[in-house]
Amino acid sequence: MKNMKPLEKIYFWVILAFMYLPIVTLIVLSFNKSKSRAHWGGFTFNWYIRLFSDSAILNALANTLIIALIATIAATIIGTVTCVALGGLNRRTRAFIMGITNIPMINADIVTGISLMLLFRILHFQSGFITVLIAHITFNIPYVMLSVMPRMKTISPSVYEAALDLGAKPWYAFRKTILPDLAPAIFSGALMAFTMSLDDFIITYFTKGSGFDTLSTKIYNEIKRGIQPEIYALSAIMFTLVLVLIFASNRMRTVQRKDSDLTEKQIKFRNIRNVVVVSAAGLGIIYLALLFGGVFTKNSNQVYVYNYGEYIDPEVIKMFQEETGIEVVYDEYETNEIMFAKIASDPSSYDVVCPSDYMVSRMINLDMVEPLDYEQLPNTLEHIGKQYFETMEAFDPGNQYAVPYFWGTVGILYNTNMVDDPVTSWDILWNPKYKGEILMQDSVRDAFMIPMIRNGFSINTVDPAEIEIATQDLIDQSPLVQAYVVDQVRDKMIGNEAALGVIYSGEALYCQWENPDLEYVVPDEGSLVWFDSWVITKNARNKENALKWIDFLSRPEIALMNFEFITYSVPNETAREMIEDEELRNSEIAFPGEEILNRCYSEEYLGEEGEKLYAEAWKKVKSAN
Amino acid sequence: MKKELIQLQHISKSFDGNMVLDDLNLTIHENSFVTLLGPSGCGKTTTLRIIGGFERPDEGKVIFDGQDITSLAPNKRQLNTVFQKYALFTHMDVAENIAFGLKIKNKPSNYIKDKIKYALKLVNLEGFEHRMPDSLSGGQQQRVAIARAIVNEPKVLLLDEPLGALDLKLRQDMQYELIRLKNELGITFIYVTHDQEEALTMSDHIVVMNQGYIQQEGSPEQIYNEPENAFVADFIGDSNILHATMVRDELVNILGTDFVCVDKGFGENNPVDVVIRPEDIELVPRGKGTLPGVVTNVIFKGVHYEMDVEAGGYEWLVHSTRLNEVGSEIDISVDPFNIQVMNKPESEDEKALSVEDA
Repeated sequence: MKNMKPLEKIYFWVILAFMYLPIVTLIVLSFNKSKSRAHWGGFTFNWYIRLFSDSAILNALANTLIIALIATIAATIIGTVTCVALGGLNRRTRAFIMGITNIPMINADIVTGISLMLLFRILHFQSGFITVLIAHITFNIPYVMLSVMPRMKTISPSVYEAALDLGAKPWYAFRKTILPDLAPAIFSGALMAFTMSLDDFIITYFTKGSGFDTLSTKIYNEIKRGIQPEIYALSAIMFTLVLVLIFASNRMRTVQRKDSDLTEKQIKFRNIRNVVVVSAAGLGIIYLALLFGGVFTKNSNQVYVYNYGEYIDPEVIKMFQEETGIEVVYDEYETNEIMFAKIASDPSSYDVVCPSDYMVSRMINLDMVEPLDYEQLPNTLEHIGKQYFETMEAFDPGNQYAVPYFWGTVGILYNTNMVDDPVTSWDILWNPKYKGEILMQDSVRDAFMIPMIRNGFSINTVDPAEIEIATQDLIDQSPLVQAYVVDQVRDKMIGNEAALGVIYSGEALYCQWENPDLEYVVPDEGSLVWFDSWVITKNARNKENALKWIDFLSRPEIALMNFEFITYSVPNETAREMIEDEELRNSEIAFPGEEILNRCYSEEYLGEEGEKLYAEAWKKVKSAN
Repeated sequence: MKKELIQLQHISKSFDGNMVLDDLNLTIHENSFVTLLGPSGCGKTTTLRIIGGFERPDEGKVIFDGQDITSLAPNKRQLNTVFQKYALFTHMDVAENIAFGLKIKNKPSNYIKDKIKYALKLVNLEGFEHRMPDSLSGGQQQRVAIARAIVNEPKVLLLDEPLGALDLKLRQDMQYELIRLKNELGITFIYVTHDQEEALTMSDHIVVMNQGYIQQEGSPEQIYNEPENAFVADFIGDSNILHATMVRDELVNILGTDFVCVDKGFGENNPVDVVIRPEDIELVPRGKGTLPGVVTNVIFKGVHYEMDVEAGGYEWLVHSTRLNEVGSEIDISVDPFNIQVMNKPESEDEKALSVEDA
């Protein structure tokens, strides 16, 4: 440092700044009271406190550490044993085997991840902790070997033989001679494996399945929904931890090897320094990307849309952007509950979302949605059928908040070749004649809706006595049921694998195209009608743009595009008129008449107590099966 | 006759189909300093490793003190080895290295302490107890390796080119040290080297090996003065090895000139090999010797001059303390006692043993 020329000094500081500025920014922001990344709102430990009270993140952290620890230990043992064994082979065989073991390391993570995933599938491994652990051990072994093998090559076998010669038994000789010599290399191999395991994302992502997360996959999920300051806090802690770890190990080694020659020490130091530099720079670059991505996008002309997966024609988004100049930040969720959790935790994260009926009522009750300014929704007023708004009064009194997007009924799909009784009532699903030929929906509300209606109860009842009766009905029915499934109703019915299936009308339409023997019926007792509709969140930052988005989707030609893409019933009357296929336009399935609609009910939020009652009842039904 | 301590009986060993030892038979007597001498790849180290237990022979037996130890593990043999590259335990200090074998044998700590002191004194390393091997010179490391081996009081010490990595001066010093040690300890040393000078200096008994066969066994004097074949002659020191014809007993024809010698029993007019050591050739004024020649090259070697002499169509190597300038016309004269006559190899097998690169 002292003997640097001025230019060298500047260069040094620029490089240093480039590498460490991102991390400094991250650490600073982790103490920022304001959630905004753009301005400083005062000092706080709040994010750290929140981090340690976030059980999901702590759970992911625990998973990460457990996986990293076990994988490191296993990989270190396997890798070291392999190196010792290879040490006894001749050079050509050794080079060959080292080549083979190095390939997985050079291999792209995504290839490793996908191939492991496929293997686990083929072997019928349940994705989760064990598969991730196996994957981590697998990709860690080469790193251990990479560290241990060069050291192994420098160890003369005569040291081991000398120990034998002095009377040591083979294992004792190994432990006293080879192992201590290998120890520094084993240690740095283990450290490398641990680090690799800690920050692996891709391979974990492909092997973890659902419901299991490590920190990296957890953070990734968070990023999809907008990054939280807790994550800064977490990253700051992890960075500090790794830093301390590396300094400690480096110091330990320096002390331990004070007698050894300098060059080896220098090389080791350089290696460790490289690891620090590369990981810091990598972390920094990723972070910078997030930071700038966040800063620049939040302030410009945008709309944040949060929708069900595969629930829009992608072309529509492009058209909206081109026409309005508004950038659409478009994210997808899988269930209403995921969406709800996100909006509840970060109310301004999305401007416009697309919940189902019961979720709309829940959000209205919790004051999470913004009343609509219909003056700015001319297309909606003109083209959406009035009868749908009437039905929606059930969960959106006064139609203040929600504009319907798609809707449909639930009914029975049956195969005319396999069912000779008239299908007019839910009772047919209890007819022993069709034992093993019935498919039920694997979903609490959809399943319970049926016995409720059959018994003349409300589908939204939370009366324990009524739930009890419905539960018993479902248990009675269960011997007749071939399977409780979701998407497979469609495939099995098309493939003539079952006679009767409970199904959504949109799916029924598709099934009929594929298999003309199938008929769809909404039973006389009535059924469920569902609506997915657009609402604007209370804290939306781009309300104007959100209204533009909703009204754009209400345009007949746009609604038609989406209908053709999704094939669920579209509430847009003008769009329906524009459907070219006459049969489809007049399909009772896609567009049930008023008379059917009138005997259908929509779902409401049951409240936490109610949800619990249903969940317990559902468990009973499933275990009776 | 000393007691026979180790017998190698019909030992054969090959690596990856490469025959390294072929039907080797060797007897080693108690309290002797035996050197296995030969070029690299001759099988000498393999022989040592078979005695040490690090290799198992494909065929044959190793008898130690009357017992068959062919398949006994190295840690159960009553012998210790000093390895070529010292093989010290680098993470232990000198005292811990020396105590390694004693601790395994559960010796009391006082005994171990005394032994360490004694051994360090023996190898002239007093006060080095707590030095790490890394901080020692090559010679010092080798002394530690020897100390580590001898504290176990083995009946036999195996030394695998222990001085190979040392420089010349140190090597010579260590040679004397080893002789002294051997005499003080009164145990058997089996020593492997490719350095003929080392072998001649230290050994009681030299075993010259090449390509898996024993070429000749004997005292250093026998090996040097009476090599039994051209390989041994060539390997042990610089030599003039010539094709010759045995005219009759005590007369050999070399390069067309008859020389008087002392060897008998080679028949009449039989082809033989003859070896004459360079220091055994006298250069005498023209007309006073047996074969006329001209000095073609002179190098001063310190102890003597090394001269090339062209005589009878052969370039003779001559060592002498008296200088004859290049171009001097002289005669070669050899004392009959210094002409060593050897049989030419007859069988294919024997040919394999003959000079590789003479």
